[in-house]
Amino acid sequence: MWLPFIGFIIGVILGLLTDWRIPDEYSSYLSIAVLAAFDTLIGGIRAHLQNVYDENVFLTGFFFNIILAASLAFLGVHLGVDLYLAAVFAFGVRLFQNIAVIRRIWLAKWMEKRQKS
Amino acid sequence: MKKIRGNDVILSFVCLVLGFMLSFSYQYTKDQATKRNITDRQWQKEYEYRQMLIHAQKENRKLKEELMKKQEKVRQIETSLANKKAAYVDLVKEAEQLRMYVGKVKVKGKGVEVTLADASYIPNEQNATNYIVHEQHVFAVVHELLISGAEAIAINGQRISHRSYIVCNGPVIEVDGVQHAAPFVISAIGDPNVLTSALNIAGGVKDQLVNDHVVVKIASKEEIVLEPIFRTNHD
Repeated sequence: MWLPFIGFIIGVILGLLTDWRIPDEYSSYLSIAVLAAFDTLIGGIRAHLQNVYDENVFLTGFFFNIILAASLAFLGVHLGVDLYLAAVFAFGVRLFQNIAVIRRIWLAKWMEKRQKS
Repeated sequence: MKKIRGNDVILSFVCLVLGFMLSFSYQYTKDQATKRNITDRQWQKEYEYRQMLIHAQKENRKLKEELMKKQEKVRQIETSLANKKAAYVDLVKEAEQLRMYVGKVKVKGKGVEVTLADASYIPNEQNATNYIVHEQHVFAVVHELLISGAEAIAINGQRISHRSYIVCNGPVIEVDGVQHAAPFVISAIGDPNVLTSALNIAGGVKDQLVNDHVVVKIASKEEIVLEPIFRTNHD
């Protein structure tokens, strides 16, 4: 159970220790990738709480979403349309929805626990 | 247990990637923020400094213009001063020249010396006056010399000015009140060739003098020094 947490910590430390910098024009890719990762993670937590969690879906979703978002942003840059905004919008909306679902589940659990006690 | 372990490994890997991305992004944005973190206050300050700089530059330009104007003025003054100085120098030269002509200063130069002497042989007592040098002879020589361009003339070393007079006074002649006896040495500064040839013209002054039994000696000199006239005339 502690292994994912340790992995997270190690990732944070690695990220802080990395010295190389990406050029300015790729900053939108980075932000969208972060957003996609967040979205997938929250989605995974929600699925876990709803008992529909599937490892393969989560894994493929995590990496595929990141790559898709990045390629969408890439396409947008080359077409002259800010397509990454669409990705940001979609991910953001989904992020909020998932968080709302998680909150409701937790709230329901808590209420249940309180009624029992 | 083993399956859960595998799950955990994969999940931890995902978490590692996420953590990496998060912290990397955070660091990146922090860098960006510090790079172009210009607050309103800073803008204001920059504006203020810019304004001050512009003000200083304006002032500088004004001062520079003033300086250029002043320099121009100085240059004008200098040139006018130089012109004046040149004029003064010219005037001094001219004055010197005029003094030389008038006889107020000592002059020196090439010239001729004409010596008029009484005839050494007088055949007849009654005609003695025909054999001595008269003032008209001196006149003739002086005139001839002046006409031919002599710049300064002296008789027996006495400078003759434009106001000089020569009169016959018995056996001597008087130049500006100073008596001179024969032989008369008339020195003239000028081109020696011109002067001698002027005197030697056929039927000219020399011939006339010789006709009047005057012994004439004309010599070109490399250097003749004439003393200035110190005394005023008619006293």
